[in-house]
Amino acid sequence: MRTFCEILLVSTGGFIIMVLEIAGVRFLTKDFGGSFYVWISQIGMVMAALAFGYFCGGWLADQFPRPGRLAPLLAGTALFIAALPVLAPPLIGLIIQRHPLDRDIPMLWQKVDPALGSAVLFLLPCFVLAMLSPFTIRLAARALDRVGSASGRIYAASTVGSIAGVFVTGYALLDWLSLPAVFLLAGGLTLGLAGLCWYMNRFYAPRS
Amino acid sequence: MRRVLEYLCAGLLALPAPAAVVHEVFSAYHHIQVRDEAGLRILSFNGSQETRMSLVNHLEGHFDYTEYFHIPIVLNPGLSNVLMVGLGGGSTQRAYAYYYPRVRVDTVEIDPEVVVIARRFFGVLESPQHRIHVADGRVFLRRNPTRYDAILMDAYQTGRYGSDAPHHLVTREFFQLAATNLTPNGVIMYNVIGTLGGWKAERVGALYRTMKTVFPQVHWFAAENSMNVVLLGVKSREPLTLPVLRQKYEEQRKRQVLMPPAMAVRVNAFRTNVPPAAARAPVLTDHYVPPTALR
Repeated sequence: MRTFCEILLVSTGGFIIMVLEIAGVRFLTKDFGGSFYVWISQIGMVMAALAFGYFCGGWLADQFPRPGRLAPLLAGTALFIAALPVLAPPLIGLIIQRHPLDRDIPMLWQKVDPALGSAVLFLLPCFVLAMLSPFTIRLAARALDRVGSASGRIYAASTVGSIAGVFVTGYALLDWLSLPAVFLLAGGLTLGLAGLCWYMNRFYAPRS
Repeated sequence: MRRVLEYLCAGLLALPAPAAVVHEVFSAYHHIQVRDEAGLRILSFNGSQETRMSLVNHLEGHFDYTEYFHIPIVLNPGLSNVLMVGLGGGSTQRAYAYYYPRVRVDTVEIDPEVVVIARRFFGVLESPQHRIHVADGRVFLRRNPTRYDAILMDAYQTGRYGSDAPHHLVTREFFQLAATNLTPNGVIMYNVIGTLGGWKAERVGALYRTMKTVFPQVHWFAAENSMNVVLLGVKSREPLTLPVLRQKYEEQRKRQVLMPPAMAVRVNAFRTNVPPAAARAPVLTDHYVPPTALR
């Protein structure tokens, strides 16, 4: 049960990250256009969030090796994700309305603006979701001579979740649902993860 | 022996002239190729033909659907500002510069490589009357305070499975934006790659329905030598019918307004009925553009 919950936690985290990445590109296009750089910035910013999230997640796991600590963080992130369609217009407005109207946007800003947009909307949620993997590795590593297989299992589960996120979003979600509904779904799943973390607390003894 | 050689030479001459690749480049968007073939200069993106131009007369050889983009002139010969989204080889821009040199044209093209190629290989000229902006069409429209008499849409991305209009240029919100950038009698013309009843008919239907949520009148023209339907969105409520359009064309012919020679045929391709696929097609919005609506 404990291993199952760990696998479920990181694979769902990986799934949500890719839902946000793929649906996020569609979401950003109406503001930043169909430029090649929208994809580039979304991929780049999600990777940046992952790097930062792995780093901080690992540190946090050593400080508080109990999953319940992540629950409030995930709940806040869930609200942020669900509210993206409402939060986006004013935030994106700040980025795109600063160029003088009577001139074409310089090529440099045509490239960098989408990255700013990706960062404002998707850096924070992907950062929090990326913390799950190293955090769970810390929890899953029960004996030092099994850390290799435990971390391998966690990475594999998280990546399998990501793969599912890519295909499910591209093949099904965008066909069936509107973008606000996709974000609501991702937010709901994140809230579910917060509950799961809280539930998982029972498997890990508090530090004496 | 000599006769055999003569036959051989004659045979070789009868073979089609080999295509000569004039220019080839990989841009951020496409593999772009310019080649000369059988008297035509052809621009292709990822192997699909975007523009054809006769090497003898640069005003000829183009796909006929581009001539529907002259309909705004038939409707309003006094028009002054036109926006064209999507440059390609610039068939429309070349024709506008030749037939209506007083009309100011803004062209928005996302790919800087395409702008370079249109200038170098397709005789597209930039002047105060024709400005080219390297930008996304929707971003440009949103930031531009100019009111246009006509907006001409021909922006496509070509991939392995054909050409798709970018999803942010087919939504209700996009057409609302376009409508605010049009003068009260302005029109928008949208080249849809597809046919009325068969291939990609649902794409034509979805675009028709989506435009109909914004424009009081949407009509269409089907292309003859390619798989295109050009939709016409009219902002005015005054009903536009084939007799009205013909009458406007006649008036301009009498006033000897210079136009492409086939304009009478183009005018007669005007249709006002609802495309059959429109009934089961979705209205596209920024929130909901299923990827399959554009395939």
